Amino acid sequence: MLIHQDMKMAEVIHLNHHLLHVINRFGIQLGYGEKTVSQLCQAHDIPLSFFLEIVNTFHDPSYFPIENMLQFKASLLINYLHQTHRYYLDFRIPEIANYIKRLSDDKAFSEDIKGLLQHFFNQYTSELTTHINKEEQRVYPYVLELERFLSSEHSDQALIQRLKAYSIHEYEEDHDDVEAKLFDLKNILIKYIPEPTDSRILNLILHELFELERDLNNHAHIEDLILVPIVDKMEQAFHARTVSS
Amino acid sequence: MLIIEPSFIVREGVKTLFSQMGLAYRVDEVETLRDNLPRLIEKFNPQLLLVNQEQLFRQWAGNRSSAGFSGLIIAGICYGEMASHHGAHVDFSLNIHSPKPVIMQQMQEMLQKSGLAGTANESESISERETEVLRFVALGLTNNEISEKLYISVHTVMTHRKNITRKLGIKTVSGLTVYAILNKIVEAGELKGSSRE
Repeated sequence: MLIHQDMKMAEVIHLNHHLLHVINRFGIQLGYGEKTVSQLCQAHDIPLSFFLEIVNTFHDPSYFPIENMLQFKASLLINYLHQTHRYYLDFRIPEIANYIKRLSDDKAFSEDIKGLLQHFFNQYTSELTTHINKEEQRVYPYVLELERFLSSEHSDQALIQRLKAYSIHEYEEDHDDVEAKLFDLKNILIKYIPEPTDSRILNLILHELFELERDLNNHAHIEDLILVPIVDKMEQAFHARTVSS
Repeated sequence: MLIIEPSFIVREGVKTLFSQMGLAYRVDEVETLRDNLPRLIEKFNPQLLLVNQEQLFRQWAGNRSSAGFSGLIIAGICYGEMASHHGAHVDFSLNIHSPKPVIMQQMQEMLQKSGLAGTANESESISERETEVLRFVALGLTNNEISEKLYISVHTVMTHRKNITRKLGIKTVSGLTVYAILNKIVEAGELKGSSRE
């Protein structure tokens, strides 16, 4: 079932509570009352169709936003992707780190194992951070600059050269090792740690890891299926304009 | 797998339930049995056939082994109790009014009997040779170095590594290292100073 504009926001959450964080990223907080999706979007000055495409791609991974995707402004999308990055680094990762710290007081595990898990998780966090920083510092500024250039008349040669030197297709999907590490961590916890006397904190950690994975998959999905095609179109417009000038 | 069933909803339901078993295989769909059955079977060559039972018996009253597809597993889809004299023609009879656990159980058996799902998980523990390779991987050796140490080709090392990853469900070097320590294949102390990743 797709989420549509006349649904009450409260119903959306009852349908899929995993959307809570996604909706927060638009600046919409709880206490929806009887307001519908379209009412809340209007109140928060969010383009309705953009909101619907984002929540629906999250809600149903097989949903593909073909019709509407090219109409969105890249800056709108970048703002959303930036919010998700902040959410991972400022909230989700520290949350998991907290649980892992709680493990260290847990007598159910040997010191060796705690150290190993801690170390592995630290490695994962630093790789994820590196990956995110690369997007924030290289990819997103490029897209925003490209958008600014296309929406204005100026023809600053230095800017043109700078934009020409890069393309969105250079930005390869090197999510790979970060993804694989998360996958490994889940399997190590599920299958390979020596049986603890109490699994409750590990359960919480696993739950967080699954949630994080789902969110990251959606993030990558939005980048590949929405951001890249939009930027692709912008690059074509850019080349058409700079060739003729 | 081939599904012959006129109702879209029933076809979708059958596919959904099979997909819940988490297995991937090709599914072909045909709405009606307008073509004759042997020709359809020749065309799609399924291991498992699910066919609307009404249609099956209207079109095909022949003898199963003489029709030349004795190796095929056939499940009839029926919208009520099956007439007993039809039982001999099919291996399974899937009553769409059955509760979910019954249907899932039958589907599981269909998959096993038709060879679409293994009957038992093959042993997934890693072999002695793979353990040796894993040990060197954990110690930070490259494929080249491992091939020299074990007197095997780099290609063989890579095959071992692929099998290790498949069996353990661990993809990265650091993940494999954690596994190796947990299983005492290497000592944490041995890793000191080795540069990993």
